[in-house]
Amino acid sequence: MKEIIRGLTVSRRSFLKKTAALTAAGSALLTGGLVGAQTAPNGKPRRGGRLVVGVTGGGAKDKLDAHTPISLPDTARVHNLYDRLAIRNENFDLELALAEEVTPSSDASKWTIRLKQGVTFHNGKDITADDVIFTFQRILDKAAPKNEARSISFVDPNGFRKLDARTVEVNLLWPSGILLDALSGYAFGIVPVGYDPANPVGSGPFKLKSFTAGDKSIFTRFDGYWRPDQPYLDEVVIIDFPDESARINALLGGQVDAIDQVPLGQIPIVEGNSALRVLDSPTGSWLPFTMRVDAPPFNDVRVRQAFRLIVDRKEMIRQALAGRGRIGNDIYSPFDPCYPSDFPQRDQDIDQAKSLLRQAGHQDLEVELVSSPVGAGLVEAAQVFTKQAESAGVKVRLNRKDAGQFYGKEWLSYPFSQAVWYTRSYLLQAGRCALPQSPFNETHWTDPAYARLIQEAIATIDDKKRCEIIHQAQKLEWDNGGYLIWGFPNQVGAYSARVSGFKPDKTGAPMNSYGFGKVWFNA
Amino acid sequence: MPNPSGGLSIAKLIAQRIGSGVLVLVAVSMIVFGATYGLGDPVRAMLGNEATPERVRAVAHELGTDRSLVEQYIAWVEGLLTNEAKSFATGRPVSELLGPRLLNSMILAGSAGLVAVLLGVAGGIASAFWRDRSLERLASLISLVLVALPEFVTGIFLVALLSTGVLHLLPAVYIGSGTVLDPLALILPMTTLVLAAAPYILQLARATMIEVLESDYVRMARLKGISELRVVMIHALPNAIGPIVQTIAIVLAWLAGGVVVVEFLFRFPGIGTAMADAVTNRDLPTVQAISLLIAGLYIVLNILADVIGLLANPRVRHGSR
Repeated sequence: MKEIIRGLTVSRRSFLKKTAALTAAGSALLTGGLVGAQTAPNGKPRRGGRLVVGVTGGGAKDKLDAHTPISLPDTARVHNLYDRLAIRNENFDLELALAEEVTPSSDASKWTIRLKQGVTFHNGKDITADDVIFTFQRILDKAAPKNEARSISFVDPNGFRKLDARTVEVNLLWPSGILLDALSGYAFGIVPVGYDPANPVGSGPFKLKSFTAGDKSIFTRFDGYWRPDQPYLDEVVIIDFPDESARINALLGGQVDAIDQVPLGQIPIVEGNSALRVLDSPTGSWLPFTMRVDAPPFNDVRVRQAFRLIVDRKEMIRQALAGRGRIGNDIYSPFDPCYPSDFPQRDQDIDQAKSLLRQAGHQDLEVELVSSPVGAGLVEAAQVFTKQAESAGVKVRLNRKDAGQFYGKEWLSYPFSQAVWYTRSYLLQAGRCALPQSPFNETHWTDPAYARLIQEAIATIDDKKRCEIIHQAQKLEWDNGGYLIWGFPNQVGAYSARVSGFKPDKTGAPMNSYGFGKVWFNA
Repeated sequence: MPNPSGGLSIAKLIAQRIGSGVLVLVAVSMIVFGATYGLGDPVRAMLGNEATPERVRAVAHELGTDRSLVEQYIAWVEGLLTNEAKSFATGRPVSELLGPRLLNSMILAGSAGLVAVLLGVAGGIASAFWRDRSLERLASLISLVLVALPEFVTGIFLVALLSTGVLHLLPAVYIGSGTVLDPLALILPMTTLVLAAAPYILQLARATMIEVLESDYVRMARLKGISELRVVMIHALPNAIGPIVQTIAIVLAWLAGGVVVVEFLFRFPGIGTAMADAVTNRDLPTVQAISLLIAGLYIVLNILADVIGLLANPRVRHGSR
């Protein structure tokens, strides 16, 4: 009975915007006078306090397993319960964590991993070589391979040798210089021998106190944490928030101290509130358009090049991402030390695009673009592209699918579609999406010369030499590849001004890689 | 005074209603099963965009989604009958996932329904009694506006007014533990539902009462000099009960669906949020269970309304049809 009436009223989105503005005006009035000027947040770290965090998504399938996180609440829990041998820090630099040494042999056929002295699990037990071997084997388990199994496929599951209580020799099936890089993945937490996710013993800054799937999880400080002084907080509460208006309302109403994702339209409201801080992190995540290099019309490289010239990248960032992002140049992994800064930036060039399409015999091209709201800004980007393509005489039909349909059987075979990727180094990313055996090769890019170069780069230990090889591979992708990489979106979270210690983080994991061990409440 | 043949016909009518209710439920179960398979591949939706093909295969086999549709349907009916249907998301029985949430939703929808019925019926009678006075016209206008507003609009407005914007009196969302309900956090979602449901009941109760108050036998009662209060309560109200109960049943059944939106907005741990989560994750057994629950509730409420309508109708009650 209400449905008929409902159609006549304001759309939900436009109403949200209006009430949000009202909310902002209200809270500015209230808090502006009381809190006053923005106080300097970064005093000396203080101990104590309970941080309540609203995290996007989550539901009945929530879990605690160190090696199979899926949703963002899973990711947040994994970051705090478990520690890894190495991490990517805020600047996307590799940094040793539980390990004091991770080094390859000169021919990259085996690696030596040595643990730091005196690092312990939540249950007080020392972390040993056995635990490291157990962790590797659990991830590589043939019957139930975990998230990171693919990134360490070069590791021989039976090739571990315990050299002493805290040293392991890892033998490889084929040479690889990127083990340390692979180990920094967040689903690589070291777990004790006999680990059971139901009793999630790790060595991260917080221990589990309670966990309810689809609702919340509570953590307490781990006093034996190896990083000096950390963690500062006594307790952390992670709360699932599938609905974005509930999430932002909880922050504005003071029920949570931080949220990991602010809807793009609401950022100005948070910025206008002096009791809140925005954490705006440039990342290496990317939301490419994917063109299948083996399906018409994209099997003609001139069409792919034309599409890369159709897009107005700056306008795309402005409209699809509300300005929160940086333009891309059709190459992923912008924070990789081997990112090619010498490739000229591709800009919109409609004349050139038209001429390429004409040469390819596609002056009146009509294509279907499969889009889905599986990432923030994705559908918006598709709409903007559809508009921009008109000026080159290309008619783009938008086929919008919901998430379940999008990831259905046809996924990875759409001729023209979109994808969501997180920040990775170039070689790990190429392994996921650009080789014949890659699990998510949405552009069907199988260039044998490219694959040879990647294989060679993986086996190369010398950084400079490796970059030179990677550079050749990147040139092949830049000239012929099927990705249209128009930009890298920022990750935008928000937190209470009473909290200090959050830093912008290039890894793309929200809230400074959910680094609650590093933050504290101000005096 | 009941007569034997009248009693029999009521029993027969009730049996008929229940029989058709069961048939509808069976048909609904088939539609639900069929329709949920159009939602897309549950395994890929569950694992997200970074699941490797090996994991997809492993999970599909584990959940049985690699079997034929008929096999899955048979397994599903078996699961329903033995209460062993397992959630794809948790691997535990669906009843375990839904039990506490169903209770929470019943508390929310039940309390909202009770308040809405009391306010709506009382307001409707009062409104009919004092109809066309200026204050009554204003109240009627407000209730009409509320009928027209979707519940999430009312909800967002209440949150902006009482939690995040103007005042900071009530919690904006529910973040307490999922099993023990916090009364303070219940206020906003309940008020939202009441504001959506009560005006509807009020409008229909008012219309029905006015119709009855203008009928011949009520005029006759007035002419006999019976007090107005007595006229309304003894003569008019019993004759208005049938239509009012029908309306209440529809509104209560609507509440069972309306909680989905409101629960989501307030992050309330009920079947509504469970439904939204299950649809997102393609947790088909849970989606099917909740759909059947809501369908079952519709059917039960409609049968109850029919029965009360029959009992309240003197022509049926006395068997003279």
